[in-house]
Amino acid sequence: MIAPKHILGTFDEALASLRNNVLMMAGLTERSLERAMKGLFNRDDNLCANAIADDEEIDQLEIQIDRDGVAILLRFQPVASDLRRVVSAMKLSSNLERMADQATTIARRARKLNRHPHLDEVELMRPMYEHAMAMFKDSVDAFVREDVDLGRAVVLRDEKLDELNRVASDKLVARMAKDPDQLRGYLNLIFIGRCLERVGDHATNIAEDAVYAAAAEDIRHQTHAASV
Amino acid sequence: MENLIVTTPERTVMEHVDQPVEPPPADESVPACTFQVKNLSIWYGEKRAIDNVTLDIASNAVTAIIGPSGCGKSTFIRALNRMHELVPKTRVEGTVLLQGEDLYLNDVDPAIVRRRVGMVFQKSNPFPTMSIGENVVVGLRLNGVRDRKFLNERLEKSLRMAALWDEVKDDLHKPGTSLSGGQQQRLCIARALAVEPEVLLMDEPCSALDPIATAKIEELIYELKARYTIVTVTHNMQQAGRISDYTAFFYIGRLIEIGPTTKIFTNPTDRQTEDYITGRFG
Repeated sequence: MIAPKHILGTFDEALASLRNNVLMMAGLTERSLERAMKGLFNRDDNLCANAIADDEEIDQLEIQIDRDGVAILLRFQPVASDLRRVVSAMKLSSNLERMADQATTIARRARKLNRHPHLDEVELMRPMYEHAMAMFKDSVDAFVREDVDLGRAVVLRDEKLDELNRVASDKLVARMAKDPDQLRGYLNLIFIGRCLERVGDHATNIAEDAVYAAAAEDIRHQTHAASV
Repeated sequence: MENLIVTTPERTVMEHVDQPVEPPPADESVPACTFQVKNLSIWYGEKRAIDNVTLDIASNAVTAIIGPSGCGKSTFIRALNRMHELVPKTRVEGTVLLQGEDLYLNDVDPAIVRRRVGMVFQKSNPFPTMSIGENVVVGLRLNGVRDRKFLNERLEKSLRMAALWDEVKDDLHKPGTSLSGGQQQRLCIARALAVEPEVLLMDEPCSALDPIATAKIEELIYELKARYTIVTVTHNMQQAGRISDYTAFFYIGRLIEIGPTTKIFTNPTDRQTEDYITGRFG
């Protein structure tokens, strides 16, 4: 449902600007992750360098979003759905910044791998990458469209990513034992897998924040809460 | 530089956490009600100002009534002590129960209702010819109390409860109108408290006050709710969020929604409430 405009036009403008910066940050984070992973798969150091360079702009956007969010809280004292949107936007930016840090780490590890002969096990990262990116894009879609069902569905998909990471790590550890000369390379891949798993965790956080923004429902830590 | 190192193995980060000074209230169940309003409608002549309102007002809590101008907020709270009857050609349907007693039965004296349910208005209104002290105890005097010791005790007690005693204790003989706007409003609160009401109604009590005087009244409201049920009308959404436990939204004489203030201001059920509190109305 499209909410009617605020009587105060500057409030609408401030909210739109905040949202736009969050979406810009999400777009840059997506690009950074793609560049880092393509840098790994295609053994392209330039792409890795671009991914690392992207981080600066994303960091600046995080600062800007925090500043704008605080200004909105101060100037307009939002309540109800407006308040939830501002709080969620600020939380999203924090998760996006951490995702971009994962992209930077992946790019740095990929550059190290690119200095050595190709490892077939790099392909173990592909299903994880595809799964993590799909979670990420869907979580942002859930936020943009205020789609509660999509947000909930993203959260459930994190378990599969964890499982993919476990399987990949086990295989890489087994390879380390058989091929100790490539130990550093396998270790770098384990770290990249760990980064992708963290990307999924942040996508989960974004999906949870999307559900909160849309429906004022806190779906975090539900399995834990149920078991206590 | 070594002086900057203050950590020892015995210290823990948890030491910095404030320990609770008192246990949280154990009873989270449905609160007791001071007022039970059922199917209340009020007309001024032909115009219906309140349209079939049913709600309960929780005891020892602050209930804020919000809504756009002309929605019936003031009429509603005035109906809680029959003050609206001072307007000619008013008509009431429905029931208002105060502690289970119907305020609108024929044999109920409106003066007694207004003693049980005190009221503070938007503009402070101390009696201009009376001193500070006389203003506070005028209600008791009108009820025939003459015992000077009793009056003096009640004067001090009321002014203390209204957080005004320390500021005026040496000037009790001065005119009530010599006080600042915020002090005058607290004087009116002291006057309302002097007759020991069960409920305090407040009709935009801070709208004519500066932020400091407003903060003092808000702090006072917070303290008073331990002893009184408070119903306040406010146009200030942030104030409603700060001081009230429950919020009721009125629109065109109807109750649209009532609920815990936190719920109303984070996730209201009704679209009209959401549009009003977020500034999308009209």
